[in-house]
Amino acid sequence: MIVEYIQSALLIIAAFLVIVSAVGLLSLSKDMKNAVYGRIHIVGIFDIACIIAMIGLGQYLLAGIYFIIAPFTAHAIANAFYKGEDVENNAKLGEIEEDDVDDSNPFIVPRSKVQELENEDSEKLKTDDRFTISTLDIVEEE
Amino acid sequence: MDILIISKYILIIAFMIMMIAALRASAYKTTSMGLLGSSVVVVAFAMALLVCGEMYNLTFYRDISLALIFFGFVGTVAFAVVAGGDK
Repeated sequence: MIVEYIQSALLIIAAFLVIVSAVGLLSLSKDMKNAVYGRIHIVGIFDIACIIAMIGLGQYLLAGIYFIIAPFTAHAIANAFYKGEDVENNAKLGEIEEDDVDDSNPFIVPRSKVQELENEDSEKLKTDDRFTISTLDIVEEE
Repeated sequence: MDILIISKYILIIAFMIMMIAALRASAYKTTSMGLLGSSVVVVAFAMALLVCGEMYNLTFYRDISLALIFFGFVGTVAFAVVAGGDK
């Protein structure tokens, strides 16, 4: 009888934690800085709730496996976000390689040159230099 | 009604709410959020299956939930390694 009460208490605690983490996952503001890391942290609460529920259901081996596995998942996702998409914190993602820009190609222009052209206060470039029209003179005799 | 049965039902409802929340979270714009949401959905489904199997004496429920949790972990880590790049 006491075991049943302990089991049901564990399951209710787990359910409470799951609902809290679900509300937290959705209510976290999009404009907040580092929101993805915050959501990964909230999912950590859900993982612990799952482990408590597994213990309450008597699945101790599964609980042990998930206790080891869950941090690996969270770190892998956080690492992937930092290396691939985190422009705020990872300075390498903001750099643009301009060495590959070919000067002879008229359709590919470096970003710095475009920004200079867009800047109206630039004294180096006059208004006439922004757009150039080249014409071909065709001589019929040739 | 037994309090253990009631708590199991409450837990299943909580997992359903979590699955819906994780589906919404997986629709955010970054790829990592999709990965996170999908992994949470898989784990919540495995847990709901575990509780249902315990309630209705289903066979193989433990094996299926173990497979879902383990292969969900493997898939998540593999996708995270690919998404992070090789640098």
